[in-house]
Amino acid sequence: MTEISVSLNNVTKRYGAFTAVDDLSFEVAKGEIYGFLGPNGAGKTTTLRMMLDIISPSSGGLEILGSTSAITVRQRIGYLPEERGLYRKMKAAESIAYFAQLRGVPKKKAYSKAYELLEQFGLEKFARSKTEALSKGMAQKVQLLTTIAHEPELLILDEPFSGLDPINQQTLEELIKHQSESGRTIIFSTHVMQHAERLCDRFLIIAEGKKRFEGTLGEARAAFAQRLHVRTDASVQALRALGGVLEIRVEEAGREGEETTYEIELEDGADPQEFLKKAIAAGIAISRFEQAGATLHDIFVALAGDEQDDAQAASATLHKAAAE
Amino acid sequence: MNAVRLIAWREYKQYVFSRGFLLFLFMFPLGMVLIGGAMGLLESSKPTRHFVVYDETGLYTDDIDREIARRHLRSSINVWDMYLGVNAEPTALEAGSIPEPFFAPDLTDRRVSAFEAAGGFDAAAAAAAPFLKAGAPTFSQPKLLFRRIELPADVASATSLASVEEALRPYLLEQRLAHMGEGDAARLFAAILIPKTFGADEDAAPAQYWSRNLTDQALEAIVTSALNSALQRQAIIDFGLPREALDEVAAIDAPVSAFRPDRAPGKAELGMKDRIETALPAVLTYMLLVIIFGVGNLLLTNTIEERSNKIVEILLSSVTANQLMMGKLIGIAAVGMTMPTIFLLGGLALAGATGGPANVMGVAFETLFSTNLLLIYLFYFLCAYLIFSMIFLAIGAVSNSLQDAQSYMGPVMLLVFAPLPFMIMVFQNPNGLVATILTWIPIYTPYAVMMRAAADPPMWEILGATALMLAFTIFLMRIMGRIFRQAILQASPPKIREVWKLARKETT
Repeated sequence: MTEISVSLNNVTKRYGAFTAVDDLSFEVAKGEIYGFLGPNGAGKTTTLRMMLDIISPSSGGLEILGSTSAITVRQRIGYLPEERGLYRKMKAAESIAYFAQLRGVPKKKAYSKAYELLEQFGLEKFARSKTEALSKGMAQKVQLLTTIAHEPELLILDEPFSGLDPINQQTLEELIKHQSESGRTIIFSTHVMQHAERLCDRFLIIAEGKKRFEGTLGEARAAFAQRLHVRTDASVQALRALGGVLEIRVEEAGREGEETTYEIELEDGADPQEFLKKAIAAGIAISRFEQAGATLHDIFVALAGDEQDDAQAASATLHKAAAE
Repeated sequence: MNAVRLIAWREYKQYVFSRGFLLFLFMFPLGMVLIGGAMGLLESSKPTRHFVVYDETGLYTDDIDREIARRHLRSSINVWDMYLGVNAEPTALEAGSIPEPFFAPDLTDRRVSAFEAAGGFDAAAAAAAPFLKAGAPTFSQPKLLFRRIELPADVASATSLASVEEALRPYLLEQRLAHMGEGDAARLFAAILIPKTFGADEDAAPAQYWSRNLTDQALEAIVTSALNSALQRQAIIDFGLPREALDEVAAIDAPVSAFRPDRAPGKAELGMKDRIETALPAVLTYMLLVIIFGVGNLLLTNTIEERSNKIVEILLSSVTANQLMMGKLIGIAAVGMTMPTIFLLGGLALAGATGGPANVMGVAFETLFSTNLLLIYLFYFLCAYLIFSMIFLAIGAVSNSLQDAQSYMGPVMLLVFAPLPFMIMVFQNPNGLVATILTWIPIYTPYAVMMRAAADPPMWEILGATALMLAFTIFLMRIMGRIFRQAILQASPPKIREVWKLARKETT
């Protein structure tokens, strides 16, 4: 049985009449990289803060590292909030060591770890520089190091990529992978899908406080409309006649008598292999057949986009698919 | 507990080890030395001011000279007493080894005369020499501040008051220098013109004091006093009494002693210790007010910093809001206590260095440590600190900038300083109505009780008011703690109406 690091059961958070998080349930297994995806204002930060017991839920229960309150296990958790800050007058090494000490690391060890991490991330020259003297990128790195200096087994990162330049984003991705390889559980929220696509084992999409999807990228793709890229001299009508087709777009039109590349969107649940078989059976010559899964971006826009009805419809399909 | 200690230590370190504070620590004694040195330097470098007297009556010049000499002697003896306080062995001073009038607890006209009669400073230095500390500097008498010089030749030859006036103008306007004999020349500071008809009669002409410098009135006062006593002396002679009678009369200082009815007979006389004992609570109370205001501001600004720099969220993922609050309260309280502790130690060192029974600082410390004032002070300091710092913390938690905080700070400042005008009344009448009313208002209980500490207020009143204050403090801590915990993480500062809601209950 997989060990569960974090589980939320029907958690709701209300501020007066406003419901920030609505009946949310999910589980994160130990060692997993878990993406927490949603547009701005979806309730991501509120959920993470409840997980950390910085705020308490209005109803529902949660468990984190086997405890009902993060406070009792906070020394085993590393948290990087979305909006970052360090004491302006504190030196880099001092900042890292201070937060490590607050999480129970003895002073001496905290300082040696701080210097070790600074060296590892090429910041050893700035160990004695005050935060206010660091560049924004360096300060962000220092902030990240304050999150991991006490070697937590669970990392909760709120929008860790926001504000980082591409090089630092790359560094952070590597750090997350490295932390995961050392057996740590990582939960991070983002609204940039590429990172989630590259890093997450599983993810959850949240919008307006409600869960829209939870599962792997493969599961999402399987349940989502399939797209094909097909190169053939057949007409649109001939392709449509094969059945199971939702929409056909011309990607690259060929001249008279030449082949055309189409993007074909299949109906939900339609099997691309079935479509290929039917085409061959119908004597359609195909010179390219490429199956393109929906990108996480497409899934995200469909589930968490502005059009409520579409999102709910898509969500219902996905839940059904996941249940199956 | 470890987290609270860490937070408190960080807060403390941030302020006490800051460049500003260390600079202050270094500058404070240096400043004292500099100010002392500068004052001495100013005093010794003050130029001797020269003046002339044109006396048509020929009666008063000697009186003015005598008055100037007498005042100079008096202020010189004052400096001599200070010199002994610093340079003589305290034990010798206590044992009275240096005889009167060279060493005495106070400075009266009689002592001044006796000092001069006993041989002046040469005799005094000889009498004190065996009792000076090793390496003590020799005493040098201060410079004469005002010196009368002879009228310039062209003025002296003038025949009427009006022409003297005219002749003196270029000297007084410093267009010409007056010769003092032996080739020296001096700027003329002032001129005193005494007309022929000057006297005590109602229709007598007034003496004239001419000077371009209207701010330094010392010479004018000396001249007035000299002329006054000359006229009084004349009147006494006119009454048929001997001339010396006025000197006798003028030297009389009425001895008055103050007594306390609550002391045993024979021990009831008020000494310096008693006076200090009554003044000390007022000094401590004002110090309390200043400290509360100072550290309150620190709490406010650093809470705003943590809030606006978003540090608070990381802090709150590591410690609880209550731990954070406690850490800040303890750290800043320690900052608040550091300053008076340094003053206390500095004062003790100074008192130890100077010594002597007539030492105000020494007696003040003796009073502070021999009574339980210090304990009372500490207790009420902590109470007042808790009350006001909780308010400042809550304001910090609902403000993203000092500008946001301003709207709350106005009324709070009014609250902090409201008792100030009434403190004088409490001081003068420590068991009066105003004192009682202030005692029973919980936020002012600490001030009022400290002010009244030396006046034996009714015990039931103090206990009752203190109990009320403690209950209020706990109540306030709960309310303000609630606001702090809920508001500190809100992205935008809550409006005043919302703050009221936060105070009423914790949202879940």
